[in-house]
Amino acid sequence: MDWTKQIGRYILVMLLQVFLFNQLQLWGACHPYIYILCLLMMPITLPHSADMIIGAVVGLIMDIFCNSLGVHTASCILLMFIRPYLIGGLVSDKDRLNEQISLRTLGMEAMVKYVIILVLIHHLMVFLLAAWSWHHIGFVLLETLVSGLITSFVIIGYNALSYK
Amino acid sequence: MQNLLKILLRYSNFLVFIILEVAAFLLFSFNNAYPRSSILSTANNVIAWQNEQISEIKAYFHLRSENEQLARENAELRNQICSMNSDQHAAPIHYTSAKVIQMTTDEMHNYLTINRGKKDGIVRGQGVRNEEGVVGIVRTVGRNYSVVLPLINTNTNLSCRFTKNDYIGTLQWDGKDSRFALLEDVAAHMVVNPGDTIVTSGLSPVFPEGIPVGIVENSVLKEGDSYHTIRVRLNTNFKRLKYVEIVQNAHQTELEELQDGLD
Repeated sequence: MDWTKQIGRYILVMLLQVFLFNQLQLWGACHPYIYILCLLMMPITLPHSADMIIGAVVGLIMDIFCNSLGVHTASCILLMFIRPYLIGGLVSDKDRLNEQISLRTLGMEAMVKYVIILVLIHHLMVFLLAAWSWHHIGFVLLETLVSGLITSFVIIGYNALSYK
Repeated sequence: MQNLLKILLRYSNFLVFIILEVAAFLLFSFNNAYPRSSILSTANNVIAWQNEQISEIKAYFHLRSENEQLARENAELRNQICSMNSDQHAAPIHYTSAKVIQMTTDEMHNYLTINRGKKDGIVRGQGVRNEEGVVGIVRTVGRNYSVVLPLINTNTNLSCRFTKNDYIGTLQWDGKDSRFALLEDVAAHMVVNPGDTIVTSGLSPVFPEGIPVGIVENSVLKEGDSYHTIRVRLNTNFKRLKYVEIVQNAHQTELEELQDGLD
C-alpha cells in the first residue's frame, strides 16, 4: 500500500470537506460528509483492528472541526467494522483488492452497492447521534437520504474521474 | 483457559470494535454533559484559524450589508450612551465586541465561534448579544477564541418576560426553524396576543433586564391545557450573524456564588 498517496488523498478530501462541503447550507437537510471517501477507498491489507483505529482517528479529527465530539468517531469505527464483511459479500476474488478499492478493481455494480450501503450506514449513525432522540426520526431519515446520496454521487464521481 | 484464549483470539476484532465504540460514546457523553474541552473543539487555535480564513473570504461578499449593519449599530450605541448617562444605577456591565468566525444554523445543536477568548476576559457563562437582541451564552473558552451556545440550540434555556405585564416564561428552541423559538411555562389564565414583545428577565446575571428577544408570532391554548404553546419570532437573525457583543457583568461570579450557596 502506498501510504503517501493515501495520506495525500486524505488531506485533499479533508480540505474539500472543511472548506466547501461544511459550508453548504441547502434547506437544512444537506450535510454531505465526503471525507469518508478516503476510508472507503483504503485497500484491505491491514489487520481489521488497525483499520478500525484509523477510522477512529479520521472520525475524531472530523469531530473537532464540527464541535460534535464522538459522533463521527463512533460512525467511522462502525463503518470500518462493517467494511471487510461487506466486501467479502460483494466480491469473491479478494486478491484484486490488495492495491486499492476502486471502480477498476470492484467493477461498476459492486462499487455502487458498496459505496451507497456504507455511506448510508455512516450518515444514519451520524445524524441519529447528532439528534440524540427519536422525536425527529423522520427528519433524520430525510437528512440521511439526501446527504447520503450526494456523498455517494461525489465518491463514485471521484472514482469515475480517476478511472485508469 | 486455552479455550478461553482461543475464543478471545477468534473474536478479537469484535472486541476491538466494542472497545473503540465504548470510547467514542464516552467522548460523546462527556462532551454533552460537561464543559467542552477547548482543545477538542472549534475554540482550538488551529481549527479556529481555518474558520477565520473562511469567514475572511465570505466577508467580501457581504461588505455592503455589513456597512449598513455597522451604521445601525453605531446609532444603537449612541442611544445607549444617552440612556446610560441618565441612569446612575446602571449595573456594572462592560460590553466587548467580537466577530463571529464560524456558525451553524441548521442542525439540532448549533454553535458559533467568536474571536475573543480568555485573554480578553471572556468567562464561561457570559451572555452574548448583538444590536438586534440576544444571541446566546458562552460555553467554552480558549485562549483566543470561544464557543457560544446560541438560542437556536435545543440545550439552551433563557428566562424571559413580557414587557406588557412582566409575566415570566422560559424560552426554548425546538430544533426546526432558526427564526422561531418556543416560550414555555406561561399559564393559561394569561392573555397572549400576537405582537407581544418578549425581553430578557434580568433574573440571572447573564443578561441585564430588557434586552430584546423576540415577538409573539402566535399562541395556541388547547382545551384542558394549563400552559400556552407560544411561538416567538426571534429578533436576532442567526443566518447573517457577523458581529456580537459579550455582556460582562462585573458582579456575575459573586451573584452566581450566592445563588449556588442557597441549594
